[in-house]
Amino acid sequence: MAERSKESNLFFLLVVGLLAWVVPGAGHYVLGERRRSIIIFVTIVLTFCTGIYIGSIGVIDLAGAKPWYLAQIMNSPMVAALERLTADGTYPVYGRPNEIGQIYTSIAGLLNLLCIVNAVYLAHLRGIGARG
Amino acid sequence: MSIIATVIMATFTAPERIGTTPQSMLWLLPLVAAIAVVYKTTKVRTVKAGEFIKETAILFGSIIVFIGVTALILYTFVWLITE
Repeated sequence: MAERSKESNLFFLLVVGLLAWVVPGAGHYVLGERRRSIIIFVTIVLTFCTGIYIGSIGVIDLAGAKPWYLAQIMNSPMVAALERLTADGTYPVYGRPNEIGQIYTSIAGLLNLLCIVNAVYLAHLRGIGARG
Repeated sequence: MSIIATVIMATFTAPERIGTTPQSMLWLLPLVAAIAVVYKTTKVRTVKAGEFIKETAILFGSIIVFIGVTALILYTFVWLITE
């Protein structure tokens, strides 16, 4: 019985983490933290959009800027779809707009990673609380 | 695709013109604000408008002051080497 409860808790943590990655703030939303989830969603999406507004979607470049891409993909799997659009080099971007765009989109991704970890941790604490 | 959707898409397919000027460093401010907001969202026990805004503003100010002090130290260091 306890084993099954542990398994279902692990599955719940996985679902929370996955949801938080797919849609920024969704992890907190399923935990009932509505205000937190709205703030997280608006801030991260706005930061990411500012980045691609300044540097264009060309700042998402798996081939030319892999370390930046690893941070960018933390925003959402949607980044991978954007990368498919830019993979053929149709949207070249250089200089300061590229730097600022990459920094904005990558920081947004790392902030979402922080939120994913926070949501999973909150879910874990609640799981412990529920089990007593 | 509607004209509005096309215009919105177009804004994300061409980069903005930003020169390598000292003013371009001001793009740092919205980013610091975003970091302060998200960090405080994960840290505060309960999200209440007044307290949340106050804590976020303090963190935002702290980061800016720290960046300013670091820039000043680095500028002084460079000045001492080059003069």
